[in-house]
Amino acid sequence: MTDHMVNDVELAPPEVVRQAACDFAAALAETPQFSAFEEAADRLRHDEVAQHLIEAYQSKQGSLQVVLMLNTASAEDRADLERLREAFSANPSVVAYLRAQTELGAICQVANDVLSRHIGLSFAASCGPGCCC
Amino acid sequence: MDSQTVALPPDLLKAAQVLAETLLRAEPIAAYQKARARLDADSEARALLERFLVAQAELRIRQARGMVTQVDVHKLRTLQREVQASSTLIAYVEAQQAAMAFLPEVNREISQLLGVDFASLAGPASC
Repeated sequence: MTDHMVNDVELAPPEVVRQAACDFAAALAETPQFSAFEEAADRLRHDEVAQHLIEAYQSKQGSLQVVLMLNTASAEDRADLERLREAFSANPSVVAYLRAQTELGAICQVANDVLSRHIGLSFAASCGPGCCC
Repeated sequence: MDSQTVALPPDLLKAAQVLAETLLRAEPIAAYQKARARLDADSEARALLERFLVAQAELRIRQARGMVTQVDVHKLRTLQREVQASSTLIAYVEAQQAAMAFLPEVNREISQLLGVDFASLAGPASC
C-alpha cells in the first residue's frame, strides 16, 4: 500500500478536501434560505427594541441561573422570566429570525444527511456542541 | 419543520455529493472505512463489542439506581481488557476517533465562509 492509497482508494489531498468544503459552503450561501437568514439576522442586529428585550431576558436568566438549576426560584422570579421570554419571543424581528433559522436549519439537516450517509458517521454530531468556526 | 420533506436545490445537492465523495477519499475517513470493514468481517470482535456496550449500559443504569456491585464492575473490567486486547476493535476505535476529530476541521472551513456554524444548524432542531 502506498502512502497516498488506503483500500486501493487514491486519497484526496487536504487542499482538495478544503476546496470541496468551500464549494459546498458557496452553494449553501447561494440558497434563498441562507439569504433570508442573513437578512433576518441583520434586521435583528439593528432592531434596538428587540436587542433590549433579549438583553433584559438574558440578564434576568443569568441572575437566576443558580436558583433555576437548584429548582429554588420563587414563583415571582419564574413569572418575571416567563414574561420577559414572551416579550422577546413576540417581537417581529425575533420571530422572523427564528423562522429563517429554522428554514435554513432544515436544508442544512438534509445536506448533513447526504454527507453522513456517505461517510458512515454523523457529520454534525461529530462536530458536537464544542465545535466552533 | 420535517427535514425529510425538504428538497435541496440542485446545485447544493451536487456540492454536497461532491463533498461527501471527497470526504470518503480523505485519509482519516478512508482509514475509518477500512477499519469498519475489518470489524464487519470479524464476527468475534463484533460480538465482543456488543457484549461490552451492553454491560456498559447496564452498569450506567445500575449506577443511577445505586445498585452497582463488585461483580458488575469486575464483569465490565474483564470485558474492557478483552476489548483492549482485540486488534480489530482497537483499530476501529482509533480510526473512528481520528475520523471524528477530522470532521470539525471540515466544518470550520464551511462555517468560516458562511459566517455561521454549519454543524449547529445541521444538528437536531433546537431553539
